[in-house]
Amino acid sequence: MLEFAQIAIGGLVVGSAYAAIALGFSLVYRVTGAINLSQGGFAIIAAMIGYTFAVDWGWPLLAAIPAAVAVTVALGVALAAFTFVPALAQLSNANVLMLTAGILTMIEGFVLAVWGSQPYAMPPFSGEQPLAFGAILIPAQAFWVFGAIALCIAALWFLIAKTKLGKSLRACAENPSAASLMGIDVPKMTLLSFGLATLIAAISGVIVAPTTSLQFDTGRLFTISGFVAAAIGGIASFPGAIIGGLFLGLVTQLATAYLSSLFSSAISLLILLAVLIWRPQGLIQAGVSRRQDTREEVKAVGHAAKLPARLGWPLAALAVVAAALIPQVVTDNGIMSSLVIAAILFMALMGLDVLMGYAGQVSLGQAGFMAIGGYTSGYLVVNDDVAPILAVLVGIGVSLLCALVLSVVTLRLRGLYLALATLAFGLLIDSCAIGFIDITGGPSGLVGIPSFSLSGFTFATPRAMYYLVLTLDVIILAGLVGAMRSGFGRALKAIRSDQMAAAALGINTVRTKLVAFMISVTLASMAGSFYAFFFNFLAPEMVGTSRSLELVAMLIIGGESTLLGGLFGALLLTLLPVIFAPLAIYKTFASGALLVASFLYLPQGLYGGLVKILMSLFRPRRDGAAKSVAQRQGRAP
Amino acid sequence: MTAIDLRAPESEHAILSVRGLVKSFGGLKAINDVSFEAQAQQVTALIGPNGAGKTTVFNLITNILPKDAGKVMFLGRDLSGLSAVKIAELGLIRTFQSARVFPGMTAIENVMVGGHRLAAHSLPSQSFWLRGARDEERHLRRRAEEMLELVGLLSFAQSHASELPMGAQKLLEVVRALMARPKLLCLDEPAAGLNDTETRELANLLRAIRSLGIPVLIVEHNMALVMGVADRIVVIDSGNLIAAGTPGEIQNNNRVIEAYLGRDDAAS
Repeated sequence: MLEFAQIAIGGLVVGSAYAAIALGFSLVYRVTGAINLSQGGFAIIAAMIGYTFAVDWGWPLLAAIPAAVAVTVALGVALAAFTFVPALAQLSNANVLMLTAGILTMIEGFVLAVWGSQPYAMPPFSGEQPLAFGAILIPAQAFWVFGAIALCIAALWFLIAKTKLGKSLRACAENPSAASLMGIDVPKMTLLSFGLATLIAAISGVIVAPTTSLQFDTGRLFTISGFVAAAIGGIASFPGAIIGGLFLGLVTQLATAYLSSLFSSAISLLILLAVLIWRPQGLIQAGVSRRQDTREEVKAVGHAAKLPARLGWPLAALAVVAAALIPQVVTDNGIMSSLVIAAILFMALMGLDVLMGYAGQVSLGQAGFMAIGGYTSGYLVVNDDVAPILAVLVGIGVSLLCALVLSVVTLRLRGLYLALATLAFGLLIDSCAIGFIDITGGPSGLVGIPSFSLSGFTFATPRAMYYLVLTLDVIILAGLVGAMRSGFGRALKAIRSDQMAAAALGINTVRTKLVAFMISVTLASMAGSFYAFFFNFLAPEMVGTSRSLELVAMLIIGGESTLLGGLFGALLLTLLPVIFAPLAIYKTFASGALLVASFLYLPQGLYGGLVKILMSLFRPRRDGAAKSVAQRQGRAP
Repeated sequence: MTAIDLRAPESEHAILSVRGLVKSFGGLKAINDVSFEAQAQQVTALIGPNGAGKTTVFNLITNILPKDAGKVMFLGRDLSGLSAVKIAELGLIRTFQSARVFPGMTAIENVMVGGHRLAAHSLPSQSFWLRGARDEERHLRRRAEEMLELVGLLSFAQSHASELPMGAQKLLEVVRALMARPKLLCLDEPAAGLNDTETRELANLLRAIRSLGIPVLIVEHNMALVMGVADRIVVIDSGNLIAAGTPGEIQNNNRVIEAYLGRDDAAS
């Protein structure tokens, strides 16, 4: 009983932090309708700055803590003013979510570049001596945490419920277009909500820091836990966020103590998935729902870059020949390996593009299927001596099976909740990859996977592997281009832009989306298997949620709904760190920054930019094409 | 009020027969025992003043809203419980009041989507670029071009649908529905938001559709348009059926005149 109480208090401490982050989610969601995944990033940045001020520079805590919070909020507001606020006006909410995932990655990369990857331990504010209540010992920091979070909640409540500013915020939450007609500066309120959320995140980050170890990617943990908490409690409700946070903290701590730390996050994710099935809006529903009377589709659907067929075919042939010749020119093994990695990731990216770019279904769990495919085939080859090609197929089968189960949840969900469910799924696979040590080798990974071999030939060198993956990529690309330019692709695009109108034309939306999902899962699973064969090794972080986010970044940077765009994103993000080795530490930062920049300034991605350049280069021919179209129209009866 | 039974006897040629439709929103009875039919080869118009419940009837027929009571038979099949997709598969194709073109697609792609339900070639044959799939694609494209030609939009074939003017979008939506080879084409206020020229183009299109023998059920506000193209008109007011007949009969019907002119909201 004593032990239980001790653990429960620990859970409440952690839960308070989650609750604070969840509160930030809820606040931004209510005012803008978008999810801000960068929350946790600001918590960690505040904690790191606080550490530097207090420990490295020796400032007194009383100065260091407020200073750290102030710096973080300033940083957050500045970032939001240039990214989040303009993005809200241009992007669909699902894309804003991914943009904030990019901001989170950027912050992570920034922390990695400044503070390195080693863990930091912040000293407790008022000594190590715990307070004793009878037999129960409570760490002194717990009181700081409870006090600070309670203060935050009270202040936020006062602001929202009792002030004029709060009234404006609430107006934005209920109907932004009407609010702007009433003279409320909606972008300013958006910025304010973002700033407030950052403030809460920063405070909770600094206060909780002494109870945990800080690392550059701890922010992700904060974000995810806060997000899960908000989703369980009800994303649009403040009490829901607080209850969800405390509940999540309790459950994870109890699970860690009584079951296994390896599965503690799996349990919270299962709870989340159960909540999503049972009541997608969360346990506590908001009293006033946000009005959705402004049509979003126009914002949601950009125009994909497309090369005219006249240019497309010769260029495609040229590109394949060039790709086939690369190994004759490139002798550096490191670059060759990166090319193989990019080619393997491109496989998964084509699948992701079908699902996200064409069908408009956000997936933040694509790497989860890479993991299922990779671990299944790796395990079978290592332990049961199965032929690699067969193992790849079994991997696909297992992935499809998991996808079917997941689709029971996801097919009912759209937009935000879909993103949430796929994220939860990816995280669940993460924790399974770490937890099922007997199959996956746990955190240290699955070792001794042989190279891929087919009827006696082993693809042991990067060069052999390159040709294998290149061949597969070309075949898959040809197939998908065929499908996307025909009825299936049109049906997907129709569903993406207007599901109800698509259904009214007899397009089976559920089945079509399911097929798109299956295609993406198959390709992700294949990519995962080849990844494992290529590295002869598979560890959880290679196919974890950060990989999922990286895939999304690659796709957006390269250009959505182009099929080929992913290749450009994959090449850029895999080759650059290899070619400019000293810059490798900035890779995370760059991938986040590029994602954000592409969303805002290059909506058609690198591929779109390339198409534009090519079109202007070949303008005379294009005019010729236009003329022949005109002639054809002239001849038509 | 005299009790006139406006229910036409259920005829054999009825494509669509609506019987005793009832729908309440909260305590408000939005649709009260509405019955009518749409006949083969005819344009049936459903008219009424603002807020009469026309679009609600439409949404009840296509199961976008659940109905409280009543029965909708389409080609001898009860539509209750069928999904929007199933209803479309039966050949009842509808458009929406606010033009719902697919904004991310070009005009011709929009029209081609309409032909989706009739396409026979599967995803694998599309992926492998098989001859059959390519032929079908070419055929579909040619038909779509003919459709665009029909409404004078062929020169906009490669433009993004969302960039077309409102009138063009409405016409595009109608031909997109035509591509699906409807057994009954249901148009929800196709003239809403159109200027006079565009309305005339729409009227021409509707006459062309009728001459093709495709039955049409049209919900409309614009009297001139309806009188010009409809074979039979059904009038509802405040959720009640108040008249049914030919345009000539309706024009001289006192209850209709009262419903339209006897109130302030009868602007059109």
